[in-house]
Amino acid sequence: MRLPGRTAITDALGTGALILMAVLALVILTAPSIIVLMISFDTRAFVSFPPQGFTLRWYAQVFEQSVLVEAMLNSLRVGLTVTLLCILLGVPTAIVCVRGRFRGTTALSIFVLVPHMVPGIVLGVAVLFAGALVGIGPSIWLQSVSITVFVLAVMVRTVMSRLQRLDPALEEAAANLGATPLQSLRTITFPLLMPAILAGAVFTFIEGFDNISVAIFTHGFRDRPLPVELLAMVQTTNTPLVAAVSGVQILLAVIALILVAASVGLDGVND
Amino acid sequence: MTDAALSRPAPLPRPGEALLDKLLSGRGIWPAVPAIVVLVVVAVIPFVMLLSLGFSDIEMSRGAIVSQTFSLAHLTGALADPLYWTTFQRSLSLALSTMLICIVFGYPVAYLYLIGGRWTRRLILILTIAPLLTSGIVRTYAWLVILGGRGVVNMTLMQMGLIDRPLRIVNTHWAVLIGMAQIHLPVMILPLIAVMSRQDRRLEEASANLGASRMGTLRHVILPLSAPGIATGAALVFTLSYTTFVVPQLLGGGNYLNAATMIYEQVVYSLEWSKGSVTALILMVTCLMVLVVIALISNHFTRWTKGRDA
Repeated sequence: MRLPGRTAITDALGTGALILMAVLALVILTAPSIIVLMISFDTRAFVSFPPQGFTLRWYAQVFEQSVLVEAMLNSLRVGLTVTLLCILLGVPTAIVCVRGRFRGTTALSIFVLVPHMVPGIVLGVAVLFAGALVGIGPSIWLQSVSITVFVLAVMVRTVMSRLQRLDPALEEAAANLGATPLQSLRTITFPLLMPAILAGAVFTFIEGFDNISVAIFTHGFRDRPLPVELLAMVQTTNTPLVAAVSGVQILLAVIALILVAASVGLDGVND
Repeated sequence: MTDAALSRPAPLPRPGEALLDKLLSGRGIWPAVPAIVVLVVVAVIPFVMLLSLGFSDIEMSRGAIVSQTFSLAHLTGALADPLYWTTFQRSLSLALSTMLICIVFGYPVAYLYLIGGRWTRRLILILTIAPLLTSGIVRTYAWLVILGGRGVVNMTLMQMGLIDRPLRIVNTHWAVLIGMAQIHLPVMILPLIAVMSRQDRRLEEASANLGASRMGTLRHVILPLSAPGIATGAALVFTLSYTTFVVPQLLGGGNYLNAATMIYEQVVYSLEWSKGSVTALILMVTCLMVLVVIALISNHFTRWTKGRDA
């Protein structure tokens, strides 16, 4: 080896330092959620560390408080509406962006992606004001539609990237064998796109369920979604109840993670 | 397969299906029209109205606008208001420092992903994606628990006998910065991993074969090639940190004002919609300016690596 000893030492030190930093970052990334989970089983009625004892009382309370249950149901409705709208609007748009044979497919895909890059708070304020100008007040529907516009890009991008990697020969083969476009769409394209649609559905549902930046301006005053309720609660409650709500949400996230891993695989998230 | 089956003519499309086929083939723009209409109605038109509100005096009654006249007063008023300058300065420095912290902590994670084995990679992906699926409020609440008066940090320090009474960490600029950096770290890591895992691994081998040390390879090969990933992550982290109000609201306390909490107060509490529009517009324009700067810097670096390739 030509490597002089000094380089070997700097190498070992440098790599070691980087790995140490990475491990530290991963611990910092994970520890807060674990601490919240620990707190959510605390028997005392105030948040303190380390937790003492074990009780499921706070989880029971989450489902006993009608305000929280209603907020969860509202968020569930918003999440499902957003997901459904994103599938109905996003999948055809993604197909057009990739397969379209007209000038302007690139412009179209940029146009669809832009609302996601506008800060959510700006979009929320804009929709609230525009609604007021034409006499549409904030409601669960306004909230659902605004969040749909905000996250449509996620669905379009996920489906587009899958579509770009599909072999067009498969569809051509179907056409050559006499399938109509509708038939080939139903029997060839959609089944192949399913994993991407599922992954997109998970992400758009989570955004519909959890979004606060758009929701805070557009939600109905009587149908308060969970994040809005939670934001108020965090500022006023000092019991582990909030930790228990967080525990429920972390469970939801784990389910979502498993769904994503099963549909596009974890590596697929980035495409 | 029999000859009969092969020679059977393709089924004739029914009339209704023929129209559907035309719509669904995906060659024309038609399938995208519903999405375009929704985007125009719910994003483009509201944005134009936001612009018009920012440049007008309005009269409101019962949550509806009754009259509107053109005026530059709100914009000039905002630009002359020292509160605006300090608030936006605070937001900007907060978002930029969050971005830098995320680069410093995010890059080693992406590097570990690059050199790690299958299980290391899987673990990194799980730990990075899972927080993104959790609500931002939950993740901010976790920091309240950690940094609060009876929180993890204070109780540990007190038990170790280092302090007698809890330190005041929550409701300071530092609490906001710590929370913000941790919450947005995954957004930095993912684009980095995406760019780095697409790199040609042979370049690293070539660099090693030519006698470069591991650190030399990192500095001269991996780092320049991952510049686009750094730029994407930095842009995302900046935008999110610059425009969030959850973290400042919860960790900064009632008096901590950044641009986003300012908009929230103007719109929801004091109902000054024209003022709120102007603030939102300033927020967006300044955000765009920083994004352009990030893009320019990134372009500079990638052009430099492309020049070396040639």
